[in-house]
Amino acid sequence: MISGPGPSHRESSDGAGRLFELPPELAIDTGIAQRVIAGFIRNQLRQAGFSRGLVGLSGGIDSALVAFLVAEAMGPESLLCVLMPYRTSSPESAEHARLVVDRLGCASDVVDISPMVDGYFGRDGELGAGGASAREASQLRRGNLMARQRMCVLYDRSVPWGGLVVGTGNKTESLIGYTTLFGDSACAFNPIGDLYKSQVRQLAAAVGVPEAIIRKAPSADLWPGQTDESEAGFSYPELDRLLFWMIDKRRTDEELLEMGFASTAVERVKRLVATSEFKRQVPPVAKLGPRTTGVDYLYPRRRPGSARR
Amino acid sequence: MQPLRIALVQLSPRLGDLEANLAQHRERLAAARLAGAGLVVFPELGLTGYQLQDLAAEVAMRIDDPRLQDLAAETGGLSAVISFVEEADDHRLFISAALLEDGAIRFVHRKLFLPTYGLFDERRFFAPGDRLRTVASRLGIKVGLAVCEDFWHLAVPETLALDGAQLLINVSSSPGRDLAAIHEVGLGTAASWRTLMRTYAQLTTSFVVFCNRVGMDETISFWGGSEVIAPSGEALFTAPLFDEGLYTVDVELGDVRRERVGLPLLRDERPELHLRELRRILAERTGLDLDEASEPLDSPPGAPGAVGPKGGPTGDPKGGPTRGQRTRR
Repeated sequence: MISGPGPSHRESSDGAGRLFELPPELAIDTGIAQRVIAGFIRNQLRQAGFSRGLVGLSGGIDSALVAFLVAEAMGPESLLCVLMPYRTSSPESAEHARLVVDRLGCASDVVDISPMVDGYFGRDGELGAGGASAREASQLRRGNLMARQRMCVLYDRSVPWGGLVVGTGNKTESLIGYTTLFGDSACAFNPIGDLYKSQVRQLAAAVGVPEAIIRKAPSADLWPGQTDESEAGFSYPELDRLLFWMIDKRRTDEELLEMGFASTAVERVKRLVATSEFKRQVPPVAKLGPRTTGVDYLYPRRRPGSARR
Repeated sequence: MQPLRIALVQLSPRLGDLEANLAQHRERLAAARLAGAGLVVFPELGLTGYQLQDLAAEVAMRIDDPRLQDLAAETGGLSAVISFVEEADDHRLFISAALLEDGAIRFVHRKLFLPTYGLFDERRFFAPGDRLRTVASRLGIKVGLAVCEDFWHLAVPETLALDGAQLLINVSSSPGRDLAAIHEVGLGTAASWRTLMRTYAQLTTSFVVFCNRVGMDETISFWGGSEVIAPSGEALFTAPLFDEGLYTVDVELGDVRRERVGLPLLRDERPELHLRELRRILAERTGLDLDEASEPLDSPPGAPGAVGPKGGPTGDPKGGPTRGQRTRR
């Protein structure tokens, strides 16, 4: 659909079949990525005075990879995976999440968010706390509320666990805004937010995330049968390549067209990126005083005395 | 000649924690001395950490700061290069590298080029230095100091070599980025730096010592990979990427002479030519009078739009644009 030049490099785990498609220009040195990310996770936790992290484990590849990376950086005993299914979530998601927990031997916790979500939207004709309008809510509203309920649970669980919430959003979904603000995007720090989905797959394969998780179609699993690619109308390798050339390599529209990308795709992706700028930034504060956070009061987050504990 | 043992201290400073970093420097200095080092090199802003932002003013030290003097006092019989935020008398802040020798601060280099693009924001917080000099070291040779981005400007190694340096020392806090698998070492930044340092060593026929920090400040990671390059451009030693450590390398300073006799590039440099052309380029850039003595370039008679030295149409049938004049189309 997006298309573009060059054959894609076909990556396969064992020659037995394609595990995922990796555009060659996106291939990274996974050894260095692991090294840098492990240092990042340790640094972020220790400088904040913590040694533990927790991850909302969906059964998908992003959170599975982050769980593996945290376990590698801090040891599996320092990781809590929280599974937060809704009653319509795919059973396969839970199975895959269990697979990760079993493989890592880390702590896990299951919180069914159905009563929280249904308590607001209502169920079986019963009104919920959200009233009549909530009963008729769109899938978008429901999906957003689920993502934010999961955020609430994770942040609550972070207190008894004594750890920080580790983010699981990737660069592709962040750039096109395929994320719920203060929902799945909420975290203390994010180790994979500068990796495109294709690179997430490459790294996941390198660290040993189970193949079934790498192979399946990515889904937000907010309603049955939902997949990212059908919803967005793009395949991830195509979308990643376009974003890479557009953003990382600063190609103009004309150059992108010359490279073979479809003009409709370029237009659409540019619009998605521009209209989601707000999701990637701290909310703006009106400049009034002599020194304003983020404008002319600029301190590192972590410095002597900044640890909370 | 006795080989010189160089200690590269590839450390991870604690951001904004002067006391901890001073202690770390003292420990490493003592360890290097024990290891027989004659020159100990610490990375850029090793005493403060890199991503300081508004903390810069809070960790700044004057040259006469007792904490610096105390550190210098520990260099009896040794040469050491350290780096910190320097506050001048007029309260400008500089990223400085100092050569400490025999218990005193012998020389201070203020970073000349402050990257303020991409992930860098140095000019917002610091003033650029404006002196580029070598220093006669107790090692018996002249040494040139440079800080990180200084080495991304050709004039710096060239000027230092012309000023007599036989040993160029670059101290860095280079953030690693661009993990594309196509790079020689899996890290675009490291690949570029390696190319630079080999080239400079060979073209200046000098030793190049590169000390880059490791660890992380906030979101950025520093890749280490400190090196010592011989005057031939050959890498004598390359420290591992990302690993903290103290690495020693023995060099024969006499290699400089051997290299320069066999490959007299410095002898053949043309600084007067360079200076003349630089003057012309500067004059053109600022719109001042051109050097009237310069010879016209060969160009086809009556080249379209050709103009004379003062900007008027040229009457000379042979005259093309004089040097420094562009033909407009």
